[in-house]
Amino acid sequence: MRVLVVEDDEGIATGLEAHLRKLGWAADVTDGVASAWAALCAEPFDLVLLDLGLRDGDGAELLHRLRQAPPKRLPDAATPVLIMTARDQVASRIAALDRGADDYMSKPFDPDELAARMRALRRRSVGRAQAVLRCGTLELDPAARTLKQAGQPVALSTREFSVLLTLVEVSPRVLSRAQIEARLYNWDSVLDSNAVEVHVHHLRKKLGSAVICTLRGVGYFVPEDT
Amino acid sequence: MTTQRSLTQHLITWSLSALLIVWVGFIVLAYRTGIHEADELTDGHLASVARLQLVQNTATQPLANMWDKSPGRPDLKNHDYQRSLSVVVWDAGGRVLSRNGDAPLPPFTLSESFETLQLGSPPVAWRAFSRWDGPTQQKKVMVLLSVSERDDLAQDIAEQMAEPGFWLLPFTALALGLAIRRGLQPLYALSRDVDALDIRQPSPLGNSYPQQELRAVADSINTLVDRYHTVLKRERELTDELAHELRTPLTSITLQARALRTPAAEADRQAMLARLERDALSAGQVLSDLLALARASRTELVERGQALDLDTIARNVVAEFAQMAHRSGHQLALSSPGPFPLTGHPVLLSLALRNLIENALSHTPGGTRVEVQLDPDAGWLQVCDDAAQSVARALSATGIENDPTVSALGLGLGHRVVQKIAVVHGGGFEQVTPPTGYQRCYRLVFKTANPQG
Repeated sequence: MRVLVVEDDEGIATGLEAHLRKLGWAADVTDGVASAWAALCAEPFDLVLLDLGLRDGDGAELLHRLRQAPPKRLPDAATPVLIMTARDQVASRIAALDRGADDYMSKPFDPDELAARMRALRRRSVGRAQAVLRCGTLELDPAARTLKQAGQPVALSTREFSVLLTLVEVSPRVLSRAQIEARLYNWDSVLDSNAVEVHVHHLRKKLGSAVICTLRGVGYFVPEDT
Repeated sequence: MTTQRSLTQHLITWSLSALLIVWVGFIVLAYRTGIHEADELTDGHLASVARLQLVQNTATQPLANMWDKSPGRPDLKNHDYQRSLSVVVWDAGGRVLSRNGDAPLPPFTLSESFETLQLGSPPVAWRAFSRWDGPTQQKKVMVLLSVSERDDLAQDIAEQMAEPGFWLLPFTALALGLAIRRGLQPLYALSRDVDALDIRQPSPLGNSYPQQELRAVADSINTLVDRYHTVLKRERELTDELAHELRTPLTSITLQARALRTPAAEADRQAMLARLERDALSAGQVLSDLLALARASRTELVERGQALDLDTIARNVVAEFAQMAHRSGHQLALSSPGPFPLTGHPVLLSLALRNLIENALSHTPGGTRVEVQLDPDAGWLQVCDDAAQSVARALSATGIENDPTVSALGLGLGHRVVQKIAVVHGGGFEQVTPPTGYQRCYRLVFKTANPQG
């Protein structure tokens, strides 16, 4: 999952980035409304973690602009937004939710609860109610980051799991290598040109070559009956 | 459970009580007037009959020694106010010429006047009028009327006069009750509005009260509610600010601690630990400010101000920061013309000044000139620094905010503390245009001051 963290406190931003990285998610951090808007216009994000009291303005303003964005182009107006703020007033929470926020967390929060809420938002955004993803014989648990194939657990690295999760979430849609990279890596990641191919290769070795199919010249996909 | 009396009941009770007193007075007066007028009427009646008798006797000479003892004919008495008069006629020698009616024979006298006689056995009171037929005094006539019969007449007249009052009382009471009820409608409306007052709305009673008395009440309530809103808003802002100041470092601490659970490079680990330490100190600073705010509020409530010299306090506080300024490379100085007499709380004033100096030293780079300036004549104390705005902005990027409207790392809260202390001393706190050579200046103005600019 590719996450945009909009937070002006350096400690919180770095802490969040480390925590999300540990979960296998790619996080980019911006510290203001303007930089966050620029990031949303440049890249698709699966989720935005938004602080309200930002250095150059109110996070609610960014949320408003995001929800007003025209469809079928960046920024994606449907991007889930989770507000995290230290404000104490209930009115500000109500206002933020009414402006289009999908969830709200008061600081300080438990990092695990934050992750759970982010997963729930992600599930809702792709139209899925179950916490566990099933695709043919595959069974992925994003919270525990575990995979079972035909009921048998399969050990995957963090990146391998992320690649598989990305493909299973949109199955049977085809994703290009760039689209997969955009969901897995932040701006600071140094990518080998064949990083995705390497992970796909490892996944095929562990799960069988039929699990991930290649559509030559286009990208990869996981068939529904895999 | 005690039942509350309504204002309407109260007013009606008092109004009806007053009405009852007036009414009783009216009845008594009417009764007395009735009695008096009946007496006058009877006397006039006696005089008229006497005159008529004399005229008649003179015309029909003579009815000598005649005493009509025949009982009166009932059909001759057919009017309510027709009385049974007795008439006695004497000659000049006191011989009864004629006598008529039920009255016992009164004694003959030469005088003529109205009088009340006790006649018969047992004695019964009779009202009598006697007069001679003229200056020659050949005949004397006396007309008598039983006093009890006269009193009956008086009673009747008095009752007739008082009777409308009996009818008037309930109607007046009813009309009065309705009038009071109707007249109190605006008050009822205000009472209902106050009862249903939504204190969350600004000016909840509006301006829909035409009566000046009620309007004054509504205006006062609206003013109170508006004042309440202002205080509440200020408290909410403060709470919000406190929450932000405290929750931000706590969140950072939580996340850094979580990150430290997993193995990391030594450099990253040290950075996280440093961040943890900084955030813990920041949270501690917020707590100190909170305690200072609480202390300021408590001092305001329980302690009275004392005579002090702000110049002495400033010298002591600036001296406390000498080592810290020297270590950080700041040029700390005091500029004061001399004694600055003031009535206040020395502990709080030291706290405020300490807060301002600490902010100036913490949020400006080494080499910055920080000066505490006092002006006893104008009644202010200010702390100025000459750090360039660009440097301040650079510091902001590291988490330090110089904009007083935005709080970060305790600066905003620190200003809240100073502001609170200024208010306790009846003064104010603001950022003012810095004097020449300085970039920023925060000033405490005191109530006892006579500002000169």
